[in-house]
Amino acid sequence: MRHVSFFLTSMLLGSTAFAAEPTVKFSLEPDAAGITHKYSGEYLFTVGGGVAAFDCNDDFKPDVFLAGGEGASQFYVNRSKKDGALRFEKHESGAELASATGAYPIDIDTDGKMDLVILRVGENVVMKGEGNCKFSRANEQWNFDGGDAWSTAYAATWEKGANFPTIAIGNYVDRAREDDPWGSCTDNWLHRPNGGEKSFAKPLALKPSYCPLSILFTDWNRSGTPSLRMSNDREYYEGGQEQLWKVEPGKEPVRYTDKEGWRYLRIWGMGIADYDLNSDGYPDYVLSSMADNKLQALEEVPKDAKPEKPGYVDVAFKRGVTAHRPYMGDDLRPSTGWHTAIEDVNNDGLADIFIAKGNVAEMPDFAMHDPKNMLMQGEDGKFVEAGGTSGIGTSKISRGAALMDFNLDGLVDAMVVNRWENVEVFRNVSTDAGNWIEFALREEGANRDAIGAWIEVKVDGRVMAREAISGGGHVSGQLGFWHFGLGPSDKAEVRITWPHGEAGPWAQVAANGFYLIEKGRDPSAITVPE
Amino acid sequence: MAAPPAAAEVLERWYKLVLLLVRHTPIYSPPVASRAFAYMATAVYETMAAISPGWQSLAGQLNGLKEPPYKEKPQGLDLAHALHGALEASVSSFFVRTGPSGQRALKSTVRKVSADLAGSVSDDVAARSEDFGRSVATRILEWSDGDGGAVIENMGFPMSYKPKEGKAHWVPTSTIGLQQAPLLPNWGNNRTFAMPDGGACPIKGPPAYSEEKDSPFYKEALEVYDTVKNLTPEQRAIARFWSDDPMLSPTPPGHWISIAMQVAKQRNMTVEECADMLLRVSVAVADGFIACWRVKFEVDLLRPVTYIKRVIDPKWNSPLITPPFPEYPSGHSTQSGAAAATLTTLLGDNIAFEDATHARDGLPSRSFKNFWEAANEAGISRLYGGIHYRAAIDHGLEQGRCVGTYAANLKTRV
Repeated sequence: MRHVSFFLTSMLLGSTAFAAEPTVKFSLEPDAAGITHKYSGEYLFTVGGGVAAFDCNDDFKPDVFLAGGEGASQFYVNRSKKDGALRFEKHESGAELASATGAYPIDIDTDGKMDLVILRVGENVVMKGEGNCKFSRANEQWNFDGGDAWSTAYAATWEKGANFPTIAIGNYVDRAREDDPWGSCTDNWLHRPNGGEKSFAKPLALKPSYCPLSILFTDWNRSGTPSLRMSNDREYYEGGQEQLWKVEPGKEPVRYTDKEGWRYLRIWGMGIADYDLNSDGYPDYVLSSMADNKLQALEEVPKDAKPEKPGYVDVAFKRGVTAHRPYMGDDLRPSTGWHTAIEDVNNDGLADIFIAKGNVAEMPDFAMHDPKNMLMQGEDGKFVEAGGTSGIGTSKISRGAALMDFNLDGLVDAMVVNRWENVEVFRNVSTDAGNWIEFALREEGANRDAIGAWIEVKVDGRVMAREAISGGGHVSGQLGFWHFGLGPSDKAEVRITWPHGEAGPWAQVAANGFYLIEKGRDPSAITVPE
Repeated sequence: MAAPPAAAEVLERWYKLVLLLVRHTPIYSPPVASRAFAYMATAVYETMAAISPGWQSLAGQLNGLKEPPYKEKPQGLDLAHALHGALEASVSSFFVRTGPSGQRALKSTVRKVSADLAGSVSDDVAARSEDFGRSVATRILEWSDGDGGAVIENMGFPMSYKPKEGKAHWVPTSTIGLQQAPLLPNWGNNRTFAMPDGGACPIKGPPAYSEEKDSPFYKEALEVYDTVKNLTPEQRAIARFWSDDPMLSPTPPGHWISIAMQVAKQRNMTVEECADMLLRVSVAVADGFIACWRVKFEVDLLRPVTYIKRVIDPKWNSPLITPPFPEYPSGHSTQSGAAAATLTTLLGDNIAFEDATHARDGLPSRSFKNFWEAANEAGISRLYGGIHYRAAIDHGLEQGRCVGTYAANLKTRV
């Protein structure tokens, strides 16, 4: 399937995809499903507003850490009943730090308890998961130098042979440069393992920094060694552009150059999401921005070899993904995009695109009433706006988000963090959605959750594929089940290409279930509690 | 303790900020920037001319400015404070729509310049001087209303646009949603500053559209194609240096303001000479954009990328971002020609200078023997960048020479 053209893929889809007219319905849960939380603060919290969603009490339901900005962060435990209304309960987790911009879950020490990396204006903090959604500061234990910057982006990978993750931190503007903040992007950092120790080495400065608001380790050419993609905010850099760093084990990271095929692109980079949206066997990237959004696909995919040139073309306009202005209401000024995620929200076997929207603050040339986008992929590969019809298109000053199956009903729900306004929780109540399947991945030893794996799901000969990532979005991370829609099919085949390139076998699984896929073993069904 | 800043330093500090704000305020496309520069420079000039002996108001010379922006010339004011007041009022108004960083920087500049000026003159003189500067700026802002360029919606792109029919005409070249309509199609009807109206500097048209290989039009397109294919490192550097993309640079008008500021420093100009120069360059450039835009939407010619993909090489792309509006004539050429014409008249044809406008972006400075050498390089850079045919450059520079004459002829000294 790797080299099937988009149009051929579309023809194949025509015979297998589920709904001719993609539909989805979200219900805005009353009282935000029990959550009272705003992302607060002024200038230093203009960006940020993240949520980390992951299960920390072993009931498979994602619990959430919510960055508070200037105020305290909060933790909420997921008390939703399976298939029921969404419900969260405030919980003292020990991670309620102030000055947080966002957070990402990751099991750093491979103890089976999810840890948390909290990005802050000031010192970043790694919190060790103690179980039952309790956390304790671990900067000293793991020799993690939290620095003192305005941190706005995170990505993690496990370099080949490492028993500790490599964590990249993206940093924003020099806070001291009040009257001329432009061109003051501070260094990004790469926290690599300290040899074979279960701790971090002194962070490496990634220069030049161009003020990233989203970064992602992604194996763009499926080489087995992920590279570091950075989406940078052109408002603040000078001489900058988007970046892709080669991060090879034991070597200094180096940037891909134009001679290697990297294309000069300058946007207000706010968020990254990836998924193979054109069935070429490689990830495509949604990049959220202001007054425009990009959908990047590799320009050249060799027939019998892996791509060598990271040359991307923007197919957002062609596929209806620019989402450049509000699609409803009378405020038609250009939009401002933040968190973006790619999930199949109606389970038709076609991944859809979510973009959180919201004015920076009160920029008068941009929409103040800026509804969120829910771009539904159709059988022709084009995306159609369903924010309004689905109920998710409310207008707030939105920032981060998590799109996960919070009540384990097989439908992807959404939680959105808003600046100065309460969190919104949307339950997916679609009644005509297709079948689905969700996977948790497991490796022995380090990188327990198989970050960097490539997950393929085959339905009626058609392959859907995505990366297991830790990073991207807008200062929001999620880790749990990887979800796929199957359309009308009652079964699917799944194959995992494990981090660093070892492909497992295709395995058949029944639809509408949760599975654990352990490396070297057949998928096993998980029974989730009610 | 450092000495209070002189008036020239006040001017310089504010203009440094303005060049940054132009870059960081999303509606500041090149035409919009040129307009703001012209009104700000007029406010600065009129404030200076009212206080410094030997200078006269431009009332009656600039279109629509019938009276001086004050009832009578004030006495006993401090020029540094007055310029601070004028610039605070002007910049705050023209950049009211900038983002949070811009607003913060603006407030910081007001606070720091005020603090540095404190104690240089009596409180009474300081207050009266700043008030005078603000009142001049207010009159200039009132004059600016109704010129056709005051309201910019949707970042300058019409919400809908029906392209003209015919193969010769402009079609969108961008995959950005907003840019499916051209930038500011009515800008050519705006009130001009020193030239009588937008049609005062007509130029001959481009070669007639043709796809025949021996036609002048095809040959011009082929020249773009071949040039881009064989770009030398120097040509690539030139294209990049004059690219001056909106939101990523101070824009082409800002580039010439930057040149003027650099020349002022190099020549140790007095604040009065500098204000005079800024006025002329700003007016020339603003009139240049109006004149150019008038022709752009009359001719409505397709960009090289459209023609070359259609006729020569479907895979071709321009090295620079093709601007989202019709091709003929080249805006950078017209406005650079206008700037060079007026600067040459004012200072002479042998003013060598080094241009470090893009130093903060890591681009090396470039040296020029005179203003026209810079303007010609700005023009040809558009061919190297694959976004203009030669006729648009040559005729644009020609149009600019005419436009700049009007600004050059403004009578400023008593």
